[in-house]
Amino acid sequence: MSFVAVDGVTFRFAAGQSAVIEDLSFAMSRGETVGVLGASGSGKSTLLRLIAGLEMPERGSISINGRVIVDERVFVEPEKRGVGMVFQDYALFPNMTVADNIVFGLHKLKREERRLRLEEMLELVQLSGYVRRYPHELSGGQQQRVALARALAPQPSVLLMDEPFSNLDAHLKAAIRSELRQILRQAGTTCLLVSHDEADVDAICDRSLHVRAVEASDFGSAEFAR
Amino acid sequence: MKKSLLPRSARRQINGWTMASVIGAAVVLLPILYVLTGLFRPANENWDKVKQFLLTDYILGSAKLVIFTGFFATFIGVVLAWLVVGYSFPLRRFYKWALVLPLAMPPYIAAYTYSSMTGYTGVIQATLRNRFDLVLPPGTIDVMSDRGAIFVLTLCLFPYIFMLTRVFLERQSASFIENARLLGHKPLSVFFRVVLPLARPAIMAGVMLVLFEVLSDFGVANYFGVQTVSTAIFQTWFGMYDVQSAMKLAAWLMVAVLGLFMLERLLRRSRRYASPTSRSNPLKPQPLKGIAAWGATLFCTLVFLLAFFFPIAQLVVWAIETGGTVWRSDFLDLTVNTLKGAGLGTAIVLLIAILSSRAARMFDSPFMQALTRLLSAGYAVPGAIVAIGVLAVFIALDEWLAPFYGMLGKEEGALVLSLSLAMLITGYVIRFMATGYGALEAGYEKMPKAYSEASRTLGRSSLATFFRVELPLLRGSLLSGFVLTFVEVVKELPLTMLLRPFNYDTLSTRAYQYATDERVFDAALPSLFLVLIGLISVLFILKAERS
Ligand SMILES: Nc1ncnc2c1ncn2[C@@H]1O[C@H](COP(=O)(O)OP(=O)(O)O)[C@@H](O)[C@H]1O
Ligand SMILES: [Mg+2]
Repeated sequence: MSFVAVDGVTFRFAAGQSAVIEDLSFAMSRGETVGVLGASGSGKSTLLRLIAGLEMPERGSISINGRVIVDERVFVEPEKRGVGMVFQDYALFPNMTVADNIVFGLHKLKREERRLRLEEMLELVQLSGYVRRYPHELSGGQQQRVALARALAPQPSVLLMDEPFSNLDAHLKAAIRSELRQILRQAGTTCLLVSHDEADVDAICDRSLHVRAVEASDFGSAEFAR
Repeated sequence: MKKSLLPRSARRQINGWTMASVIGAAVVLLPILYVLTGLFRPANENWDKVKQFLLTDYILGSAKLVIFTGFFATFIGVVLAWLVVGYSFPLRRFYKWALVLPLAMPPYIAAYTYSSMTGYTGVIQATLRNRFDLVLPPGTIDVMSDRGAIFVLTLCLFPYIFMLTRVFLERQSASFIENARLLGHKPLSVFFRVVLPLARPAIMAGVMLVLFEVLSDFGVANYFGVQTVSTAIFQTWFGMYDVQSAMKLAAWLMVAVLGLFMLERLLRRSRRYASPTSRSNPLKPQPLKGIAAWGATLFCTLVFLLAFFFPIAQLVVWAIETGGTVWRSDFLDLTVNTLKGAGLGTAIVLLIAILSSRAARMFDSPFMQALTRLLSAGYAVPGAIVAIGVLAVFIALDEWLAPFYGMLGKEEGALVLSLSLAMLITGYVIRFMATGYGALEAGYEKMPKAYSEASRTLGRSSLATFFRVELPLLRGSLLSGFVLTFVEVVKELPLTMLLRPFNYDTLSTRAYQYATDERVFDAALPSLFLVLIGLISVLFILKAERS
């Protein structure tokens, strides 16, 4: 059975506008890393936001691990979905240190557990020496790793990453790509990764999903490659 | 299928945040709408008399102040703004911010300061007499007239236009103006062909602020004996105890304000053509030489002296001359009253502002946009109108609650709410909601939505996200919202005079009362206090502008 199931999802930003996503269906199995490819404006970010619960679909359903998180009757709020997200420009809280950012989602854990989890995460992304720094005191690559650690810390069932490399220099990118692949494998996370660069997806993902702007096709807007 | 979905998304919008905005908008709108119903209510005898003999004079008086103050303030504001942005001359850097300082001076204080300075025993005539043996024929400098009111209002209000125009020119205009200069346009042609059309939206925004202030003014016109609709509202209310006719006057004034308000919206809508993309390097000022340079400095200096330095110096001199003798024990009460009223009013403003600015951010729907626009409409409504609307609504509330008062053992027809401080506070909230809301809206606009969204995906509820992520990041906006609103409330005169509970005096009402009783020496100290408090807010504005 599929771990994540997106079924017939249609979405538009405002009534009367054309749909950004129309009748989209796909599935992911547990532990799989799937890439989402597509031109800019084709609705990749929107797809992630729908899964995270930041937008509400007009039609269709999404379920994770057998639990329906949105359909015609149900809408599970984002904080109750167990979905982690790494935003395109990371959205690290500027007024909190690296440590505070990472433990932000661990409010349900006991203090001791929280500390252990923080250490584990810092080790995973290799930022142990930076706990007291503020986001603006970090390089782009370091910020990205903090964002990743913050999203992974609460052990989400699905991790969503929106163009994780778009703010990085080209020479950093190659190194971080393989690092990311390793981190994801190590954490065993089910991950949906958006990029507009096929090379990113080739390097990290098990398979990929192509999204096209809706106007281009009448039948579904996604197709699988590989 | 769709049917069950639409209510769901609508249902999500109904929560504490949106309810707070609806309530806030209702509080602001109800009294204003109530005043407007005055147009259709039956008139009494007095109103027929007022309408027949006086209304034309009131309207002409208001129109005269609005037109002339608007014209002179625009002229001074725009010319000064272009001078300090487009040219360099001695003291330019100083005047760039110093010319905003007159905003700290409440016009009614400038009014009585000027009237005493120019009076027979005032510093000007006395000096001429004693030093130069020069006796002016009576009436040579007569500020107790509509000319005086225009003079004072212009000097106190032009900084709105100056500031908005200057900021706009500094940020937006460089490439256009430099091009025009390169193409060989003469300075005057650059001004009329490029600067004026380019800055039109900013100028209009400033002019509107000035016009709303003039329509709202009571202190200056009343002190100088100029009949306007605002002063007439006071006279029919307090002089003739005819609230009904005062309400009718207020309704007519409201119609004028609504006209202006719509004009402003219309003009704002067409402002998009100014390209906001050119956030390029700032305009390099052209150096002025010789006479031109000194002329520019002289003009700035003259305006600065008249609008700020002279009145302040006079107040300081009065305060010093009287030594400690004007210090009265009731100053403490006045200060406490002032701080209490302003503190409460500001706190409520900020509470409603923060709830509704968040609602507007959560639900970016046409409904919410309209709601928040209504919420901020109070800044355009003259204090006298707000006052009379609030009074009417509170009296109605008292009537409605009368059975309940009876149960509490109060006598029949008791006025509880309408004699309480709550009425004044409500007036403050309506009039100054826009200041607080503006600050918080700007704060939210600066904060990427992704912060809140990240918090939600990290397992925090919407409410927890508000307290843990948004509120800490809004601290600066809250502070500036607090300072700006607080100072406006402290300076507010007509609203306070109309809505205060019996025997409740603030620094502004007391200072004004001393002044109308010809006790300017006694007025000096509380006035200086008020100017000082005003300066805090002006410095805040200047600081916010720089960052
Ligand atoms: N808040 C919004 N309101 C209206 N339209 C939007 C909004 N956000 C994105 N869009 C539109 O939806 C389409 C898909 O956007 P997005 O999902 O961000 O694309 P991608 O991430 O693939 O570049 C684009 O055409 C974009 O203009
Ligand atoms: Mg995108």
